[in-house]
Amino acid sequence: MASTELLPERSRPQRPRAPHAGPIAGRLELLLELVRRDVKSRYRGSVLGVGWTLLNPLIFMLVYSLVFGKFLKVHYPGGSATVFILSGLLTWTFFSQALIMATSSIVANGSLVRKVAFPWVLLSISSVIAALVNFAISLLLMIPFMFLAHKGVGLPVLAVPLLVAVTFALSLGLGLVLAAGNVYLRDLSYLVNLGTLIWFYITPVIYPLALVQTKFSGHGLEGDAAHAVIYINPMTWVVLGFQDVFVFNRWPQHWHGLGYSVVFSALSIWIGLRVFRRLRRRFAEEV
Amino acid sequence: MSEAVVQIANVSKRFRIYHERNTTLKQSLVARRRGRYEEFWAVRDVSVDVPEGESLGIIGENGSGKSTLLKCVAGILVQDKGTISVRGRLASLLEVGAGFHPDFTGRENVYLNGAILGLPRRYIKSIMDEIVEFAELEQFIDNPVKTYSSGMYTRLGFAIAVNLDPDILVVDEVLAVGDEAFQRRCMERINTLRAEGRTLVFVSHALDSVRAVCDRCVWMDHGLARMTGGVDAVVAAYLAEVNRREEEELEVVESTEVDTSPGRLGVRITAVDLGGPGGSTSVLNTGDSLTISIAYESPEPLRGARFSVTFLRADGAPIITVPTDDLETGDTALPRQGVVRLSLPGVPFLEGFYRVTVEISEIATGQHYKRLERVRPFRVHSADHRESGMALLGHRWELPQVAARAARD
Repeated sequence: MASTELLPERSRPQRPRAPHAGPIAGRLELLLELVRRDVKSRYRGSVLGVGWTLLNPLIFMLVYSLVFGKFLKVHYPGGSATVFILSGLLTWTFFSQALIMATSSIVANGSLVRKVAFPWVLLSISSVIAALVNFAISLLLMIPFMFLAHKGVGLPVLAVPLLVAVTFALSLGLGLVLAAGNVYLRDLSYLVNLGTLIWFYITPVIYPLALVQTKFSGHGLEGDAAHAVIYINPMTWVVLGFQDVFVFNRWPQHWHGLGYSVVFSALSIWIGLRVFRRLRRRFAEEV
Repeated sequence: MSEAVVQIANVSKRFRIYHERNTTLKQSLVARRRGRYEEFWAVRDVSVDVPEGESLGIIGENGSGKSTLLKCVAGILVQDKGTISVRGRLASLLEVGAGFHPDFTGRENVYLNGAILGLPRRYIKSIMDEIVEFAELEQFIDNPVKTYSSGMYTRLGFAIAVNLDPDILVVDEVLAVGDEAFQRRCMERINTLRAEGRTLVFVSHALDSVRAVCDRCVWMDHGLARMTGGVDAVVAAYLAEVNRREEEELEVVESTEVDTSPGRLGVRITAVDLGGPGGSTSVLNTGDSLTISIAYESPEPLRGARFSVTFLRADGAPIITVPTDDLETGDTALPRQGVVRLSLPGVPFLEGFYRVTVEISEIATGQHYKRLERVRPFRVHSADHRESGMALLGHRWELPQVAARAARD
């Protein structure tokens, strides 16, 4: 070991050591940095930038209210097709965007996962938070349309955080399973795109729930099936809650359904974390 | 020695080698399972302890499992058997600039990369100027990194990485990228950490760096820890093995053959011959005379030509280049065909395996007419010599007078 003798005598650090955040603070900081990246990278290099976050739901809302409200003469309760559709659409966009972004969160960051050991789950969490940030921005759209429809919000707006939390938990829980699964089976990201599209139509976003109840009542098995699909869909109750708050300025009416969604989303987080932890062992080799 | 801060106990790691990978749904459904694969044990039953303050080197050929072992220690891969326990804060550096986002500016990426490596934002902010200066990117730090050259990219990655200050640092081959000056700064940093008693686990192909940095060394061979011990002994044993394998290959390939195709202006080297004391040879002893004969052919008489011979070590590192004297060959028109000889009165090289690179070039332009790289391998034995290393050096020791007197008493 001739080489060691050339070195200065070993001693305790003389130089002040670089600080490091504790395990929790460090993770939070990294999460924040990843969210910053995810949010920024979405708008970098596009002329309209954040404008797209508003323009996208705006255009869809106008198309839906024109087609369903004006041409198909769907009756929207609460007197305003635009506010009705928008309140569900923004929530849905948050959910589906979070789910789609989370699904690809690990694969898209493959080069990082292969080279650096850090809690990779933060990649999935940050993609859902980035979707949440977009959602918060898109909520601004509500203001002009509620104003035009002479609508206001009161105390029931306090239910919004709960509704957001349920959507967040649901998309994160499912997203974790899909993100981990997508590492091993890349088709999942295509399936998720397709799945969210179908899911959109079994959620009462562009049609009122009452419509389904009247159309399918007394249709026997077919009607029961349609009801069942909509009722077991946890997003149904979240969307109805948003409609209650913004369209009717009232507390969410379907407490049973919402309770079910809360349990469902909590369960999905629990399962999601477990599946993710199980599958992460081989991420670096499979990604 | 103090207590081990990294304990690697009976660690094995298995990879799946897929023949037909079912990464799409259709394939999975048809095959009803996740593809056919073979198991491949990249690391097999490796145990080694790294005491606090020690530098452990991991060497071995490509595919020997050294990087896999390192990734297990870093926590990127999870071993299939055995345990790895780490005491203290561990940071790993397997790639500089990991996670850089091309659309983000250098500054934004410093924060992001710093956070990924575990450096707090406030701390990075306080040393941002140092980082920018170190990376020599003052004018470009607010441009997107996609506009950077690969050198700038690497420098920025390094500038962040050298600020890592963990108890245990795990480094893989990162010294191989970056220019000479940067490699030196990185080595300085590593030596500072060592002097402060930090622990280091270091994988490299550059045996010189391993020797310079490490106390102990593991030699990985086909997934097994073939030898663990003091760095000099392990590196020497590894080199001996590399030489032995090369010699085996040498016997298979007709080693005296050289490429005789014409080079620029039709100049050809028709033979490169090694002459020892007893005629043409491939095995010499240190101190033997050696003659290298270069037979050439040219369509026109060679004017203003320079011949040169470079001696190379087994790993390809050049030892010395010996060119002809320009004054002698410069004005002389050499015949269309001839033999140029280089004579060494005594071969200075020590035990090992060597090659030569032979070149004929034009003095005026420096362009070569013909260049033969790494040809004519030869073996040097130096059983009679106490010196170790690459080459003999004329030397004389002087002992202190007191010691000399004491020795007489």
